[in-house]
Amino acid sequence: MILEDYLRLSAQKHPGKTAIVCAGKSLSYKELWERVEERSRHLHKGQILTLKNSQDIEFVVSYFAIHIAGGVAVPLEKDTPDTVLKSISASLEGTILPQGTADILFTTGTTGKSKGVIISHKTIIADAENLIHGQGFSHDLAFVINGPLNHIGSLSKIYPLVMLGATMIILDGMKDMEKFFQALDYPAPKVATFFVPATIRMLLQLSKDRLGSYADRLDFIESGAAPLPHPDMLRLCELLPRTRLYNTYASTETGIIATYNFNDGRCKSGCLGRPMPHSRIVITPEGLISCQGDTLMSGYVNDPEQTAAVLREGTVFTSDLGYLDDEGMLHLTGRQSDVINVGGFKVAPSEVEEAAMAHPMVKDCICVDKDHPITGKALMLLVVWGADAAGFSARDLASFLKERLEGYKVPLFYEEVPEIKRTYNGKLDRKFYQR
Amino acid sequence: MENKIQQKISSLLEENLPLVDLNSEFLFTELDSLGVATILMVLSEEFGISLEAADATPKNLSSIASLAALVESKTK
Repeated sequence: MILEDYLRLSAQKHPGKTAIVCAGKSLSYKELWERVEERSRHLHKGQILTLKNSQDIEFVVSYFAIHIAGGVAVPLEKDTPDTVLKSISASLEGTILPQGTADILFTTGTTGKSKGVIISHKTIIADAENLIHGQGFSHDLAFVINGPLNHIGSLSKIYPLVMLGATMIILDGMKDMEKFFQALDYPAPKVATFFVPATIRMLLQLSKDRLGSYADRLDFIESGAAPLPHPDMLRLCELLPRTRLYNTYASTETGIIATYNFNDGRCKSGCLGRPMPHSRIVITPEGLISCQGDTLMSGYVNDPEQTAAVLREGTVFTSDLGYLDDEGMLHLTGRQSDVINVGGFKVAPSEVEEAAMAHPMVKDCICVDKDHPITGKALMLLVVWGADAAGFSARDLASFLKERLEGYKVPLFYEEVPEIKRTYNGKLDRKFYQR
Repeated sequence: MENKIQQKISSLLEENLPLVDLNSEFLFTELDSLGVATILMVLSEEFGISLEAADATPKNLSSIASLAALVESKTK
């Protein structure tokens, strides 16, 4: 069975139950299924289709419809520049994908270059079952999705909800926090949501009391995608004493692997819990986390070399450093790569540098991280301007980059430097800047 | 003429949100959730006031002048 079979079953079993709510509109499971079936009839069979994430009901309908038409969905960032979208579509044309492929999700991922991760229908079902078992998703739940649906973190929440016939409430980000709290008022017996650590920090700073007033409504909150600072974990436990609070280990390549309810009276720092039913964790002799089981990707699209580097013998080898404690719980200790984690979005500095170097006024540059009170890290570009760059501003460079990169890859800060340090063989000396 | 509070807010935001066009006629639409949170936190800290999510309305965040008005209403 694929996820859409469960969607059809939910429409039969609970036709009048609200499936999806977004921007004042809602569809019951019966209506959602009818819309999906109707749209799938207009699609050619078995196509690979790119679609920008419009973060609304239309996106979700198209996503399911592509699968029903036997196709592969390639959801992209909402603000993907058209040039990027075209080149991705062109690169996928005529690609032969493994049997049972559902999606290609683009991510900076574990090795640090934007790559298409091949996700199978089997993976989607395994992720759904892991979440239902690991976090107690239930039929009477309304889950508020506030993150981008083209990323595994938010997209994977749709899976258990559809399987159980529960309600998904889609929000376009957390910019309007009032809308978020209104979503928590949705008349369902239980509500739950997912936050990246940056959003938790933001809510604790700006809306602590308001969030605390939902202590008896919030069934659970999940966090993931970046390390959650221990003081924030403790404050959240204090604020929501009866809510299950999960810290999850997951990535596009590995799927949803392990989760830990840190509101267990111990609130273990850096702990990500035990592997879920479909997953196994092995720590390599180098101390790196590797994962096995049905939630793993099938490989990187059109990149056998990178695939072989990460996925071998049914195991995904990550760049995350960690260990299993004496209770079999996973702990994350660091990351062995140049990737910068900006509030849960992973950015390869080399991709930013490459885009900036394409600008005629940029003579040399390096993309580094800078501490940020909300996201933990933000991107900063150190730039050596060319000789005739007088009067040229960082803002001009930023808008140049915005046309070429997704928004979260555009550095927030810019600083002019006389030169960029390089190693003896001419490579950027990243270590020098990681002070 | 800009008053002192407006000038202070301008320079604070230029430093913390270098990519946002502060003189935009529609400042709120220029911001993402991070931008909104940054403004609330920076202003709370600088002026010793308590701003929260409910203050982050499109009206309050429409321009430097409206931000200055928000700060003034909270300091009174």
